[in-house]
Amino acid sequence: MDFTEKIVEVAKEIFETMVMVDVTAGTPLDEHVSRFECSLSAMVGFAGFKQGNLSIHAPDKVARGLTQDFLGMEVEEINEDVEDAMGELANMLAGSLKPFISENGGKVELSLPSVVHGEEYTLTVVNKADWVLVPFTVAHGDFLVGLELKKQS
Amino acid sequence: MGKAVLIIDDSTTMRKIVNRSLRQAGLEFDTVLEAGDGQEAIDLLASQKPDIILSDINMPNMDGIEFLKTKAADASIKDIPVVMVTTEGGSEDMVEQSMSLGASGCVKKPFTPDQVNEVLGPLL
Repeated sequence: MDFTEKIVEVAKEIFETMVMVDVTAGTPLDEHVSRFECSLSAMVGFAGFKQGNLSIHAPDKVARGLTQDFLGMEVEEINEDVEDAMGELANMLAGSLKPFISENGGKVELSLPSVVHGEEYTLTVVNKADWVLVPFTVAHGDFLVGLELKKQS
Repeated sequence: MGKAVLIIDDSTTMRKIVNRSLRQAGLEFDTVLEAGDGQEAIDLLASQKPDIILSDINMPNMDGIEFLKTKAADASIKDIPVVMVTTEGGSEDMVEQSMSLGASGCVKKPFTPDQVNEVLGPLL
């Protein structure tokens, strides 16, 4: 699975047009990251022809900063605005990637976004899934965009 | 009298994001009305007549499709233009259904200020 180029392309488009921030992509991670501290993860699932999920993992400070930029207003803490804004960013990323994931004509549907936030949590990879995690840097700091797709049997 | 817009979305955050996108597109409204679903919007339209409506499609209670049907049946509000706001990769069927029910246009996130202007500008 090589969706890295597409993830970088759609992430740059979304963050630069909707959030109005410059974003720089790094090198995809060699090892999967599943444990997060003082962070927020927003996920959207894929169902149908392909199953998996798209996720954004951001430290609290970065999630607040991105939400401030997205909404154009001050955000003091992780609240409903941050959860909704990060969920919407995951939704837009998943929606923009959907045509590439459903290539060969298979129908793929998106789930509603879900958000996890906490001092320490672990997210495990879907069983037998291919994955890619791409780091991005914005003025507020670094965050990850991940894509996991279940291997076709 | 200044222009007014009604933004319909079940997420208060999304209403803020849409409002910000309008300002970035240079579309300044004197009055920004908000509703959390289609039914709230219908109730609000009994007393307020905005120049344009921006509506989400998937909402609890009364969704964007039912809102368009209800609005079309009310002579006092049927001519107010509605632009659907959806996400790239969302249900194309519902977008097509919205257009066939009288929606004036559709903007798909992610959108640029120019794209917002292109769809909303001619309707104002």
